[in-house]
Amino acid sequence: MTMLQRMCGMVGIAALFVALPDPVGAQEPRLQGRLQDAVRVEVDALLLQAREAGLPTEPLVDRALEGASKGASGERIVAAVRRLAGELETARDAMGQRARPEELAAGASALRAGAAPEDLSRLRGYRPDQSLTVAVAVLADLVAVGVPVDTAVAAVLVLAGAADDADYIAFRRSVERDVALGASPVAALGVRLDAATAVAEGILDQGAGRTPTAPRKP
Amino acid sequence: MSEHDEWFEQVAQVLREPVRLDPSFDRRVMDEVARSPAPGSRLRVLELRRPFAGRLPLASPLGGAALAAAALVGVLIGRSWLAQGDTGAALSTPVAATVGVAPVQFVIVVPGASSVTLVGDFNDWSRTATPLEPAPSDGVWSVTVPLQAGRYRYAFLVDGSRWLTDPSAPRTLDDDFGPPNSVVTVGAT
Repeated sequence: MTMLQRMCGMVGIAALFVALPDPVGAQEPRLQGRLQDAVRVEVDALLLQAREAGLPTEPLVDRALEGASKGASGERIVAAVRRLAGELETARDAMGQRARPEELAAGASALRAGAAPEDLSRLRGYRPDQSLTVAVAVLADLVAVGVPVDTAVAAVLVLAGAADDADYIAFRRSVERDVALGASPVAALGVRLDAATAVAEGILDQGAGRTPTAPRKP
Repeated sequence: MSEHDEWFEQVAQVLREPVRLDPSFDRRVMDEVARSPAPGSRLRVLELRRPFAGRLPLASPLGGAALAAAALVGVLIGRSWLAQGDTGAALSTPVAATVGVAPVQFVIVVPGASSVTLVGDFNDWSRTATPLEPAPSDGVWSVTVPLQAGRYRYAFLVDGSRWLTDPSAPRTLDDDFGPPNSVVTVGAT
């Protein structure tokens, strides 16, 4: 073997190391010691796919860690991570490519609650430059307290024009409080929505020249 | 009328007598109220919730006794209200709406528990990283966690084996692993 051949061989081996993905670097360190090796390999593969698709991986890691903490089987953990990755992708398609990771995580929860991708798209249309995280999270929370998903979507869309994050949270808390006191979820939502819109309209009537996006507390 | 009835009647007469308070008592109470911050800020709510941090304005021995009696009744009612079995009962809704990082207080009532930890998205679902501290009241556990804006899923782990949701917070609908979770949403504005 000549010197030239030997050098070519060394360069080839070096190029091979550079070209191959680093198996250690591709692994999520937080999963180490929390998942069995075989499960971890599968979850890491899903994380890699999500990363390549431009999806946030943090919610996926959290889901895997939750499964590990609760003692779920590896099969169940992998299935949950895969399902969530699909929901994140659907949420991204609905909310736009520029949607932030926390928006997508909230969107995935709303989809799981029964919201349609079109609902998320409409909400984005109402609030193109604002974070949808809280609005979408409140949608899912309202469904969780028993409000039918269509009604919850309608309420969140009605508030979208004027409400800020604090308004959404206050609205949700009011509905929850009413439900806890015995009101039906639909009735509670209706009353609180009427009150919120009345306050918003009152402020608009009083403040000639005020912009509709000015913060208002229902 | 029996001897006991007479005794009770005497006690009742004493209790029926109006409580004479120091004339400046009302004014000082109202001054204290005026100095208190208005509700609305999570930080102020946390401040008000600090156990046994406040000072009662006692105007006179009789007024103090009346306030003490009222406090005792309140404590007894509160204890019966809080004793809702071993399913846990929360005192606060862990929702905040502040800019940046918000301190969010998590409170749960679990009578008879040896340990309670908070497990969720914010601590990598560690079963040990965020222990709750027991309050002087029986069964009340709490911890305050700084959270950035976002939506977090969590649950309480009691005695290392029993998962509980937060009764005062919404439950998640995406529970993939059996024991359900609660969710806290921290606003960015």
